[in-house]
Amino acid sequence: MIKVNHLKKSFGKNEVLSDINEEIQKGEVVVVIGPSGSGKSTFLRCLNMLEKPSDGEIVFEGTSLTGLKEQELNQLRQKMGMVFQQFNLFPHKTALENVTIAPIKVKGVPEWEAQQDGTRILEQVGLADKVDAYPSSLSGGQQQRVAIARALAMNPDVMLFDEPTSALDPEMVGEVLKVMKDLANSGMTMVVVTHEMGFAKEVADRVIFMDGGYVVEQGVPEDIFTHPQHERTQDFLAKVL
Amino acid sequence: MTKSVKHFFLILIALVSCFLPTMTVSAEDGSALQRIQDEGVLTIGTSADFPPFEFYAVVDGERRAVGMDIFIAEKIADDLGVELEIQDIGFDSLLPALEARNVDMVIAGMTPTPERRKSVDFSEIYFKTFQNIMVKAEDQDVYSSIESLNGMRIGVQASSLQEQLASQIDNPELMTLTDLNDLLLALKTNRLDAVIMQGPNAEAHAANDEDLHTFVGGFEMDDDDQGSAIAFRKNEDSLVEAVNESLNEIEEQGLIEDYLAQAGEYMAVSEVNEDGEEVEDGFVSSYWEYFWDGTMLTLFISAVSVFIGMILGALLAFKRLSKNTFVRVVATAYVEFVRGTPMMIQVMFIYFASGIFFDLPALAAGIIAVSLNSGAYICEIVRSGLGSVNKGQEEAARSLGMSKKQSMRHIIFPQALKNIWPALGNEFITIIKESSIVSVIGVGELIFQTRVVRSISFQGILPLFVSMLIYFVLTFSLTKLLNYYEGKMSHD
Ligand SMILES: Nc1ncnc2c1ncn2[C@@H]1O[C@H](COP(=O)(O)OP(=O)(O)O)[C@@H](O)[C@H]1O
Ligand SMILES: [Mg+2]
Repeated sequence: MIKVNHLKKSFGKNEVLSDINEEIQKGEVVVVIGPSGSGKSTFLRCLNMLEKPSDGEIVFEGTSLTGLKEQELNQLRQKMGMVFQQFNLFPHKTALENVTIAPIKVKGVPEWEAQQDGTRILEQVGLADKVDAYPSSLSGGQQQRVAIARALAMNPDVMLFDEPTSALDPEMVGEVLKVMKDLANSGMTMVVVTHEMGFAKEVADRVIFMDGGYVVEQGVPEDIFTHPQHERTQDFLAKVL
Repeated sequence: MTKSVKHFFLILIALVSCFLPTMTVSAEDGSALQRIQDEGVLTIGTSADFPPFEFYAVVDGERRAVGMDIFIAEKIADDLGVELEIQDIGFDSLLPALEARNVDMVIAGMTPTPERRKSVDFSEIYFKTFQNIMVKAEDQDVYSSIESLNGMRIGVQASSLQEQLASQIDNPELMTLTDLNDLLLALKTNRLDAVIMQGPNAEAHAANDEDLHTFVGGFEMDDDDQGSAIAFRKNEDSLVEAVNESLNEIEEQGLIEDYLAQAGEYMAVSEVNEDGEEVEDGFVSSYWEYFWDGTMLTLFISAVSVFIGMILGALLAFKRLSKNTFVRVVATAYVEFVRGTPMMIQVMFIYFASGIFFDLPALAAGIIAVSLNSGAYICEIVRSGLGSVNKGQEEAARSLGMSKKQSMRHIIFPQALKNIWPALGNEFITIIKESSIVSVIGVGELIFQTRVVRSISFQGILPLFVSMLIYFVLTFSLTKLLNYYEGKMSHD
């Protein structure tokens, strides 16, 4: 579904990603782990072109994203939902409006239909009673679930998560992870950057360990977590587990 | 043409016209008279704070400019068979307005000095006058001649004949102001020892104010300096000739005496009731209409200007974020230029420069100038507002497939607007105060009306106090109103 060929990204002289090659299959759940500053977010943001790669190619569903015009990119981004560490909900809109604005303005879905869909998706993430609430009145966990619902409302083919639980109070992490697990079980293709190793072990089809702009090691969760091959992976896991 | 190009075209015109030499005005080919008769309107410029020559009075329940000069102008318009339109402008802006074609002629008790003759033509002298010295009544024995004023503090109106006559006093300490009423106030508050004034005007003031005393100055004057004449643009001989004919008629029939008498009646009484009895009223009830009209116009100018300024400011802010370097530089240059020059000059520039090309009413010129000025400031407010919106908001919007425009319109801008609401309110309050500058081109807003009331009521301070109070009530209640809505608007 997504192919990454020789992806490189530099900010000025600082090379953050050096030659990444990956392929993500339809229905696959890929978890990306690695120390802070290793380039995980940058990698994720290159996938939907929020960051423009300095070199290399991203192919999404057969279309090369690098070199596309803005307009065509906007089209393709609709199919790649993204969830941010800081939620980034629209504070001037209610939960339901957050969920419906993109379908209405971008896809041209009629308002009543978008509201019907939006209400259903909010129910699905357990927020049926928060439809008319403004983000400021929601807890962190609730906000992040609205953010997931907002991305799902565009009916994406893949969901990208950038540390979705890192900004949450510990007692709220569970409710968000549960929504993500349900999503994985329903067959959604997912790329998840996270420090939740439990989630990785349980849900991931594949774990990627990144460090210093490279993919150091990858494999099924059991292999990575029980027999890491590289010293750097071992060091990292020793710290977080 | 795209919208943005059009937009810049307008700004460019504004900027480029700064560099246009005034030479573009070609000399009139003698058809001035023809043009006025074709248009059917004679537009005169005057400075209506100068009784008995020109001042405001209530005539049949309506306020209008009256006075000897106005009656002469009415007669001239009659003889030409056209309507008369009066533009009331500050005295030292009259000749620039004439040269910039904002008006056809200037009649304002103006003396045809040799300096003025270099830039404009004059009619024949229609009124021989004399120059007076005004002193405080209590000083009338101390200062009774030019000689007694040696080394004293002397007030004169800016760019006036009196300014030149002051050199006949030894070592004067000169104060030069635009507004005669300010000079008289300075005299009464002991900042001046004497004011040099045109004779009939000085007598009008002294007759209405027991604190003042006036006497004929006995200055040495050329023949020319002893009278008043009407000013025209150079080379408009056909018009000058026609006006001179009317002036001759006025002289032959002795109409000047009638006009002066009529003006004196208006001056003596502020209002007459149905039985022809003078109405004695308090200050506020006599003049509240002036303040009311001025306040309404001030609010109108401010509201319209801030509204246009908001649209312009938002556009400019987006242009300053443009990827196109040229667009960005032009927008930035505009903002910096406007913020780096005084609004007073901008107002005068728009008014006088537009007069060269087409007939833009002073009110429209004033609103345009204030809007253009406000737009630059609002641009910076909007920019800071856009900057205050978290970067993650745009990323979230773009990740949902929104275009740059859509995310700006639906996500960024509404949040920015909410953040800058207090700053926009402040700008509105600032504009209410600063729009007073359009009074220099004769727009009848609150400051202008204050000047009018000062000249007809022969009161120096009270009108200032009333208008200060009005400004305060306006800005204070607006602040309260804005705070109220700001409170209602926040739901996060
Ligand atoms: N917009 C940016 N401009 C400059 N440097 C950046 C930018 N974004 C990230 N970086 C740098 O790239 C490196 C990797 O960042 P990031 O991808 O956020 O790492 P991670 O998500 O693994 O913690 C860091 O050193 C960070 O400082
Ligand atoms: Mg990160």
